[in-house]
Amino acid sequence: MSNICGIGWINPEEYGCVMRGLKVSYENKVFLKKKIFPLPFKNLGRLDSVSRMTCYAVSLALKDAGIKYSLNRKQDIGIIGTNTSGSLQSDINYFKDYLDSGRTLSRGNLFIYTLPTSPLAEAAIYFGLQGPLLYMTLSQPGTAALLRNAGNIIVCGDTTAMLAVKGDEAEAVCFVLTQEKDLSRGKACSLEKITAVAERTSRLDEVITGCIAAVL
Amino acid sequence: MEGRRISPSRITPVRKKGHNWVKAVIVSCDMVTAYGQGTDACWKGILSGKTAISRLNRFNTRAFQSDYAATVKNLRYLQKDSLVKQMLKSLFSKTSALIPKDAKLILATTKGEIDLLEKKMITGAGDVSNCSLGHLPGKVSDLAGVKDTGIIISAACASSTTAIARAAAMVRSRLTDCVLVVACDSITEFVFSGFSSLMALDGFVARPFDKNRSGLSLGEAAAFAVIMSESRAKREKREMIGEIAGWGLSDDANHMTGPSRDSEGLILAIKKALKTACVKEREVGFISAHGTGTVYNDAMEIRAFRAVFKNEKTPVYSVKGGIGHTIGAAGLVETIIALRALKERKVPPTVNLEDVDNDALGWVSPGQHPAEENKKALITNAGFGGINAALVLA
Repeated sequence: MSNICGIGWINPEEYGCVMRGLKVSYENKVFLKKKIFPLPFKNLGRLDSVSRMTCYAVSLALKDAGIKYSLNRKQDIGIIGTNTSGSLQSDINYFKDYLDSGRTLSRGNLFIYTLPTSPLAEAAIYFGLQGPLLYMTLSQPGTAALLRNAGNIIVCGDTTAMLAVKGDEAEAVCFVLTQEKDLSRGKACSLEKITAVAERTSRLDEVITGCIAAVL
Repeated sequence: MEGRRISPSRITPVRKKGHNWVKAVIVSCDMVTAYGQGTDACWKGILSGKTAISRLNRFNTRAFQSDYAATVKNLRYLQKDSLVKQMLKSLFSKTSALIPKDAKLILATTKGEIDLLEKKMITGAGDVSNCSLGHLPGKVSDLAGVKDTGIIISAACASSTTAIARAAAMVRSRLTDCVLVVACDSITEFVFSGFSSLMALDGFVARPFDKNRSGLSLGEAAAFAVIMSESRAKREKREMIGEIAGWGLSDDANHMTGPSRDSEGLILAIKKALKTACVKEREVGFISAHGTGTVYNDAMEIRAFRAVFKNEKTPVYSVKGGIGHTIGAAGLVETIIALRALKERKVPPTVNLEDVDNDALGWVSPGQHPAEENKKALITNAGFGGINAALVLA
């Protein structure tokens, strides 16, 4: 069985950590970088918006779980993600740019983000996540199926910890799942309990409210 | 920031010698590639040593690094049905009877029906919202005749390897006893221009592990495999084509488009795969490498094989000189070919290989040769974002 020991989230007005009971309002994104990342993140500005939101949520979730990262050491933590439209907006951005050039010039830095795994890969590179990395499009809405799949990856012994991310351009949430035996320290909640919350709604604010209630 | 660290040493393999584990076996599979319809066509094509990569005339390639690719014949571009749907229709038209209706569906792809978006943006026809990946599993479910509406697994060029690993894990952990894995990707102007912009293409044909290799050739394919628990396969008296004995998934956590210089991500994936399969390095009879033909990928792979297998030089081949790099479908196509290689005890040639790279000498060969009896096959794939996946087949 797996447990959830950290949940980080961000939307256009607020960000927070569920286990720590942290909820911060913000108006200017300029200050987010320093407040959310404990270590320097030089390349954050060149990432696309989904990747940036994914990295914010991952940083908050790791902090919530009390998991350290460093810029030169990697850990066998996996990352699985989903969102509402895959990489559709990045696809449009890339191909529009290509068509606008008269179909002669295509830009690699736009093409890269046409893979739905790219935001997860950006997070893996920065946080040193060396475990399984995959994106899923699920038939059921919401994050419940994502959490179940992340839990199954741990149960099957593929890795000992997984980050499950639902990230779009405007908002993102990240759950830290670990093996049950890893939870001797800090607050945690069973995967079943959080999955039950996520099953009831696909709205991020409602998921977070439900998770806060489940953890208390 | 204080707190815990997660260490790889605590990984517990599900499979242990002597334990009564659930075996995940492949009971039916098939493919469409540039060699034609069916696994036989691809197998014979690769053994012939002749490439299926040819001049590309699907769209204007003047602005690109290459005008060569491995395309499936008789597909119609920018028409009502997407290219992958045409391939899947052709694939399932003769094989859907082999697929249990209650199978869970996992679809592996990177760009799915991206040509529908191209059509919309070039001609204005169609609806953009219908172009997202999420619409494809339902169509595949209908074509394959399964009840499950399915999920997509996307892990760049390791998509279908990852999908097979997840399917086998689902079976082994008794979540289900039957999974249909379908993989597909096609060559479109979107995809071709993108790879060209990354300077990833060979100007002519890909030459994996060759001294003079200079890039990959894109290919397209669709394939499927039914992965079932051994007990159900026996109960239904199905032919067991092979077993997904182990798998390992990892990420380099290093670079978006370039492989790791020290190969540590792929080494980790291979070690995980061998560990979950309970297989020693010496039990691996051959390796089906990702072998794209890019300078860095092939060098990274050989470094990883040397690190894992040390002095035990194990035969390595790549099919991408024959069928091109079929992107999200690559892992499944290569798994099916490796199962045929195990069955026929033949290590296929690496098509287009003329002058073996110094680092690959003694590992890779331009000719086919016999495979040792009772050995396993190792499959490796890697993708953008540093994704690595490895499978052990028995």
